Amino acid sequence: MKTCIACGMPMRETADFALGDPAKDYCVHCARPDGTMQSYEEKLTSMSAFIVRNQGLDQGVARTAACRMLAALPAWKDQPGAPL
Amino acid sequence: MKNADPVSRTLRKEATRKLLVETALDQYTLKGITATPTADIARAAGVAHGTVFLHFSTQEALVAAVIEDFGARVTLRLHELVAQQATLRDVLTAHVRCLEEFEGFYTRLVVEGRLLPTSTRTTLLGIQTAISFHLAQAADREAQEGRIAPCPSHLLFNTWLGLVHYYLTNGDLFAPDGSVLHKYGPELVDHLLGLLAPKKE
Repeated sequence: MKTCIACGMPMRETADFALGDPAKDYCVHCARPDGTMQSYEEKLTSMSAFIVRNQGLDQGVARTAACRMLAALPAWKDQPGAPL
Repeated sequence: MKNADPVSRTLRKEATRKLLVETALDQYTLKGITATPTADIARAAGVAHGTVFLHFSTQEALVAAVIEDFGARVTLRLHELVAQQATLRDVLTAHVRCLEEFEGFYTRLVVEGRLLPTSTRTTLLGIQTAISFHLAQAADREAQEGRIAPCPSHLLFNTWLGLVHYYLTNGDLFAPDGSVLHKYGPELVDHLLGLLAPKKE
């Protein structure tokens, strides 16, 4: 099973892939409406907001946690500024 | 073995690393993450103590590798168990089942979390992010259909996690002879769903 290079989500169904295209390496949640992959800043912002909304963490803590989670993913491994 | 070709040397190296990670996970589950010396892991794996440090520069690096591997396995298993369009009960039941499969080490992570390096907490947060994603999707759908009372996503998630973690961290009181989630999981799921039942007019 493929996992999204930008958020780590396992992609099981066709609907999980960006534009429903199993050839893509990123998921539907990491795609812009035109099917291109979101930028690092877009992903960081959306993931931080997701953590705040669904887990209630402090905004700053959520952003740092999102930053660390993204740093472990193939799409963002070389992202400047990502914490070790 | 000096003349072994590079491919078999690499395979052997990978196999030893995997053995160390799996053995460390078992030892941490048994004795605690912070309380287990690398010498115990080497002994249990049947390798020389120095071999551990050929693969992991520090004890912290070994802990980080074990937890990262664990996080990936739990997250993947969770996605396998939660079907598309799953109900809230399905998601909660899948979460209990998944945690039950990894109960020993997961409990260690919850209990020792704040004593461990930041990378550990990030992995734990990653697992929570995965389950909160499924939980929020199912809860939003059921709230829209009027099957549960509306509840802020973070409070629903934290209420559920608070309940599960309380039973896990006190497993010795609730289920001294076995899995606390096996014994109480279904009751905890029923209880949360009862709390979320729509209010009668």
